[in-house]
Amino acid sequence: MNKKLLHKTTRNFLVLAAVILLISAPIFYFVSHFLYIYEADEVLVFHKEDFVAKASEQGFSTADIALWNQYNRSVEIIPDTGLKKDSLFSKDYFDATSQEYEPFRELWAPIVIDGQKYTYTEKNNLVVMEGMVIAVAVMFLMVIAFLMTGIIWFSKRSASRLWAPFYDTLKQIQDFELDKSHHPQFADTDIEEFTRLNKSLERLIEKNVAIFKSQREFVENAAHELQTPLALFQTKLDSLSQLQMTREQSELLASLEQDVSRLNRLNKNLLLLSKIDNETYFELEPIVVNEYLGKNLEFFTEQAASKGIRVAFDNTRPVTVKANPILFDVLVNNLFINAIRHNIENGAIHITLDDGALSFANTGIGTALDAERMFNRFAKINPSGKGNGLGLAIVRKIVEVNHWTIGYHFSGDRHIFTVRF
Amino acid sequence: MKILIIEDETAIASSIKAYFKPNGVQCETATTTSEALSKIGLYDYDCILLDLMLPDGDGFDILKELKRTNKTEGVIIISAKENLETRLEGFNLGADDYLTKPFHLAELLVRIQALVRRKNFQGSNTVSFNEITVDVLAKTVSVKGARLDITKKEIDLLLFLIGNQNKVLSKAAIAEHLSGDMADMLDNHDFIYAHIKNLKKKLAQAGSGDYIQTVYGLGYKWQNE
Repeated sequence: MNKKLLHKTTRNFLVLAAVILLISAPIFYFVSHFLYIYEADEVLVFHKEDFVAKASEQGFSTADIALWNQYNRSVEIIPDTGLKKDSLFSKDYFDATSQEYEPFRELWAPIVIDGQKYTYTEKNNLVVMEGMVIAVAVMFLMVIAFLMTGIIWFSKRSASRLWAPFYDTLKQIQDFELDKSHHPQFADTDIEEFTRLNKSLERLIEKNVAIFKSQREFVENAAHELQTPLALFQTKLDSLSQLQMTREQSELLASLEQDVSRLNRLNKNLLLLSKIDNETYFELEPIVVNEYLGKNLEFFTEQAASKGIRVAFDNTRPVTVKANPILFDVLVNNLFINAIRHNIENGAIHITLDDGALSFANTGIGTALDAERMFNRFAKINPSGKGNGLGLAIVRKIVEVNHWTIGYHFSGDRHIFTVRF
Repeated sequence: MKILIIEDETAIASSIKAYFKPNGVQCETATTTSEALSKIGLYDYDCILLDLMLPDGDGFDILKELKRTNKTEGVIIISAKENLETRLEGFNLGADDYLTKPFHLAELLVRIQALVRRKNFQGSNTVSFNEITVDVLAKTVSVKGARLDITKKEIDLLLFLIGNQNKVLSKAAIAEHLSGDMADMLDNHDFIYAHIKNLKKKLAQAGSGDYIQTVYGLGYKWQNE
């Protein structure tokens, strides 16, 4: 699953913070514990040295030992235990007052009093210290936690402000369509990387739009330029037809006539497509669909009749749509000719019109056609057919520029094309 | 009839010239606006064929000049440009007709004839061939004075054939004349056979000569017996 950039940075940050906290808490505890013990040891050693210095200075004698031990809780002079050097260790003692074991740090050191060997012991209660370590640790953790939440909150806020131009750019790119005239306008930003991103995108879009435009213009220009040689070809064929000819020559000439007709139609269709692409036909008018169907009904009925096809049109109440009249004419004609061209001998065409839809249902081959492909340019379902594979592409284009839809389905033995307004 | 062809493609101009000559149309040619304007200044023409894209200027300039000097020549624009704006501008500047390239010479010829008939209109607008008379305005045909029961399309076809007499007319040219741009879409032009057949029958029934010849493979030809 994809996550948002901002969530992801914050989440990573949080994970890192949690990990650092979890690792640092015990480390902090052990370090402070170690430091305290170190300090406690130093104090013990210092006390011992102080005792030794004071003892020799004030003439502390073996007789004083019993009295010292009686009044001193932490320091005790005990007979020599054979210790050679100072020994520091931790030990728990049961405390009668608090009824529990408490941790102590203890120093055993060999000392000499009146030339006699003794062992100096001193214990230092660590309970106070333990509490303090915990208190400090808790405080430390709290400060860190506060700091973390503060940083996260702050970074989240500033990040969303920081990334705002990026999201703006993203949205504009998302809405961008190469064949539409609206191009993204990126807002100015004071962040170098975003400026660079926007600049690069602008350049990229500009270049693509230019290429796209020149490609479209190329098709239109090429189709235009082709018209002059086609005109030459046509007029020369017309002149040639006037000459005395053998049967064979006539046949060749007749087929040439057909070829130039096909070329002509192809060129006209290409020109039409590129004109629609270049938004030449933008004037819209209210159009009564029935009239446009009726206008050429006679012509098409005649064409259909030559194949024995019956045309049925339920001329119901008038349906009005808003469209360009030239394009609407082309739309109706192409659908009509399509229904005739791909029909069978003695077939039928049924045209229905209601408020939201116009449909042409025609008999034809007995199986459904590839609805995905048939609206593509030069996608000829029947490669030997006479069509140039642009008729339905033009239909789709016209439907698209009017924001309508075209659908195809095969039902019963009918191929049904429906334009929904 | 004398016409001026203003067209920088000399091959097209000479094809038109050669095609029209046997049908009684004299053609002069001009390949630039300046040449055209000087010819228009010197001679009177029944009709001017005007290409819009000329090497030294725009065909519209010639239309403006004709308007300025109150010349009444009929003008047919023949252009590769096919859009509404150009068409409308042409008509606004005084052009009478607009034909998009490529076109059939036969189509151009009948358009010129129709235009000249309209221009020289003096109470009646008729086309005659031997015993056949077509009243273009009333849309009637009579043979030896007797009216024929004939459809609009058949009159159209008859005028096209008579106008192009002695010419072999391809089925495509006839189809295009009868159906306009719609003819482009057709896979074959066999439908005109029915129209020809009906026209032939009606003319024969009225006692007219059989002037329509079938040219094998290519089309039809209107010819005096």
